[in-house]
Amino acid sequence: MAPPKLSRRSFLASLAAGLAGAALPARGRDSVASSPIAIGQVQHDGRWNPRPSALKRLGWELARRTSIETTPEPVPVRLDAPGLHRHPFLYLAGDGALPPFSDAARAALRRHLQFGGFLLVDAADGSDGVGFDATVRPELARVLPSAPLAPVPQAHVLYKTFYLLDRQGGRVVTRPWLEAQSLDGRLAVIYSQNDLGGAWARSDLGDWEYPCTPGGEPQRETAIRLGVNLAMYALCTDYKDDAVHLPFIMKRRT
Amino acid sequence: MAALALTWWGLRTEPRRGRRLTLLALRAVSALLALFLLLEPAVQLLQTARSRLRFAVLVDTSRSMRFPIEPGGASRAEAVAALLAGQRAELSRLAERVDLDWRGFDAQTAPADVEAAARGLPSDGSRSDLLGALQAAAAGPGRRLAGVLLISDGADNASLAGGLTPPARAELRALGVPVNAVAAGREPPRDLAVERVAAEEFAFVRSSVTVEATLRAHGLDPGPITVVLRREGAVVAQAVVQLEAGQDRYQVPLTFRPDTTGTFVFTVAAPVLPGEAVTANNQRSFVLRVIRDRVRVLLVAGRPSWDERFLRGLLKQDPNVDLVSFFILRTNADQPGPQDQLSLIPFPVQEIFGPQLKTFDAVVLLNFNYAPYRSLDIERFLPNLRDYVRGGGGLAMVGGEQGFGEARYGATPLAEVLPVVPLDGAGLAEESFRPRPTAEGRRHPITAIGAGEAATAAAWEALPPLEVLNRTRPLPPGSGAVVLLEAPGLLVDGQPAPVVAVREVGAGRTLAVTTDGSWHWGYLAAERGGGDGAYRRFWSSALRWLVRDPELTPLKAEPDAPAIDPGASVGLSISLRGADYGPAPGRKVAVELVAEDGKTVARGEAITGADGAARVELPAAPPGAYKVSARAEPVPGGPTETAATALTVRGAGPEDGDATPRPELLSAIAELTGGDFTSLPGGGLPRLHQLEPEVVEIGQRRELPIWNRWWYLAALCASLGAEWILRRRWGSW
Repeated sequence: MAPPKLSRRSFLASLAAGLAGAALPARGRDSVASSPIAIGQVQHDGRWNPRPSALKRLGWELARRTSIETTPEPVPVRLDAPGLHRHPFLYLAGDGALPPFSDAARAALRRHLQFGGFLLVDAADGSDGVGFDATVRPELARVLPSAPLAPVPQAHVLYKTFYLLDRQGGRVVTRPWLEAQSLDGRLAVIYSQNDLGGAWARSDLGDWEYPCTPGGEPQRETAIRLGVNLAMYALCTDYKDDAVHLPFIMKRRT
Repeated sequence: MAALALTWWGLRTEPRRGRRLTLLALRAVSALLALFLLLEPAVQLLQTARSRLRFAVLVDTSRSMRFPIEPGGASRAEAVAALLAGQRAELSRLAERVDLDWRGFDAQTAPADVEAAARGLPSDGSRSDLLGALQAAAAGPGRRLAGVLLISDGADNASLAGGLTPPARAELRALGVPVNAVAAGREPPRDLAVERVAAEEFAFVRSSVTVEATLRAHGLDPGPITVVLRREGAVVAQAVVQLEAGQDRYQVPLTFRPDTTGTFVFTVAAPVLPGEAVTANNQRSFVLRVIRDRVRVLLVAGRPSWDERFLRGLLKQDPNVDLVSFFILRTNADQPGPQDQLSLIPFPVQEIFGPQLKTFDAVVLLNFNYAPYRSLDIERFLPNLRDYVRGGGGLAMVGGEQGFGEARYGATPLAEVLPVVPLDGAGLAEESFRPRPTAEGRRHPITAIGAGEAATAAAWEALPPLEVLNRTRPLPPGSGAVVLLEAPGLLVDGQPAPVVAVREVGAGRTLAVTTDGSWHWGYLAAERGGGDGAYRRFWSSALRWLVRDPELTPLKAEPDAPAIDPGASVGLSISLRGADYGPAPGRKVAVELVAEDGKTVARGEAITGADGAARVELPAAPPGAYKVSARAEPVPGGPTETAATALTVRGAGPEDGDATPRPELLSAIAELTGGDFTSLPGGGLPRLHQLEPEVVEIGQRRELPIWNRWWYLAALCASLGAEWILRRRWGSW
């Protein structure tokens, strides 16, 4: 495969992106994390990376808003390849049908999750009953047959791990809730049908790549905040359910 | 009678009443004499004697008889001896009629003699059992018991301690003999005593404990006194009691919160007031074992990370851990948006690093830098954290870009307690390495993850490599620090950099894990099919070691009982485990019994058996509270293992604790059984009621006829003849 040519258009885009980056507020970085979080993006045989800039942008937002440090780029991982556990946070996206995983991939993912890993599943096509949705559900059921997908209740700690959230974000709002598979009281797999990646995706020029419908930019901000909360949940689990936090959170919610 | 009536009827014609009566009398005499001769009466002769009975004299020989019979007076025992000496004549007369059965009594009865009793029997019994003594006297050998003379202060602390209960009355009645009593003492002496202390055997650390003390005060002036509760010399609680006229018992609750686990001697002490009869009863000691409910751990993380995620998950899952977490989720440089849309709380630095710090068993600083949060000024709490460790706390510092030298901890007071020297500004070593256990690390419970040293070394070799290391330097020998894991290829000052090190510092312990990658030993290792057992075992053992989990204490010494009777030897069970935490046979363990004043009162030693266990018997110690200090002879190059526990040797208990005489009890016994009662001082012997002796037949019976005397017949003839003559003369035919 020939290397891509550097066209005038892409050169100008890169230049503009560099200037925009310089103009942005300094990232909240007192010290560079010795072990930044490297989100593993699952490579599968379908369209596994429909929103190439999404995780990069989420990492940027995490660094700007929180003390979480991520690697500049997500790391593509294959479920059946060694090294999966180096990435306890996995991101599985797809646009259109998800080809079935191999047994080895399924077993590796199951083991990953059972030992404490976290999987965010994002339907980039915003499908419901067709496309990605129709194929990922049975696949998840095969990975964790004893943990069926179930809606995440609004009172779940996921909605207060960093931001206090009371609604869903995404490029679309196919479902106004998230679904999850739980292991030992912990959300091991979270499934969004609302194309979170589509709301996060931003071009090098600084443009949001996809409009968010029907809520527009507030819906996008909610999607970003949900992404922050998801990352916080992956790293801190139910920390915000600790008794010491409850009085503060109750005060702000009233 | 019919004959007499006929005679009277036959004389109806006789007009003179005198003649009629005379004739009637003569006829009656004749009839009686005839009847006597017809019945042939006899006298039966029987030889009899009165049986000799036994009379018990019971003299109280319990220790309470040492108390003065009145303020400033002689002892009760001396007063009793004087009474008996003065009444010897009376007692001698009594001895002529009955067998005197002299006995001294306390918890048991023992034969005595009159001479000894008059001189004064030794008063050293540890209990007073009046009913037991009476029953023993009743059942005693020899003649049947006719009565008892009971001489005592009445301070029963056995079955009559609660007075004459219905069962006690029934048993006293069943004796069937009068009990005559002499009460030695009427009024309680001037005394303040800690009569009783009600405390649980166990208490939970940092949980409120209330000890209920009962004070007894007699003859004291009204006013306030201060009662204190001491733990091995240090006052942990106190209460002011207002003494009132007419009240002799006071309940004093003493509440405190033990802040250290272990077995301790506690003492409730009341002041010694002028003129007290007894001062030994002004304090009372007991042993309390302070244990943990759950291990309370404070986890502070400088940022969310996988190291934090997996350690929190491990600690949260442990039902024995009460985890309090604080993670820095944003810094001042972060821009998350409006505060009211966040779930974040201010970092409660004042609360957790201030007064609340000592409520934690262990503190884990995970990739946490104290410096960036200027408004919080965490630095001012670092001395407090250092002192927390020296005072017995556990501290773990876990690495990362905010740990050790990266946060310049080397220039802080924490450096004084850390198990490694943080190299400030030396930078992180970011290269792959496999930590290797040191010689100590292959045996230490934290890093001995295999069964044996070779297996441990192999297990560490098999774990996934680490990629980040904070550069630190080992502390010199003698600092109490030991490196357990080191990075073979990463040299600092020419020697491998420590990865895991521990230190005993003051009463506390510290742990250094100079990497933020310990989660690799669990989650990464699990990918290869080995599970995350090494990670779990490492951190679980580390926590238990930090908080001095008794299960990880190699040497244990347990007394057979926390409170031992006076005069009894002190039995101790010893168990010793080696560096591999298996039984350590053939090791000498020396044990000392140390009194509250620091003096060693007994020593002993034993060699551990194949199971690492041994028994030590120490000689009896005087009443009081003692620390038990055990020390195992170290193996060459090994650490000296020590253990400490505590026990009390009881005082004489109620005999010394309660100086109150109970004349009313003795009086009630006498009244119930039909005896008499007097009291000392002033009184003499009571009138000694006793059962009458029985009459018994001895020898053969003999019959003597009394009718066959000639004068009976002559008298009959004379009376009949006289009647005949008179009738003839008076013409009464």
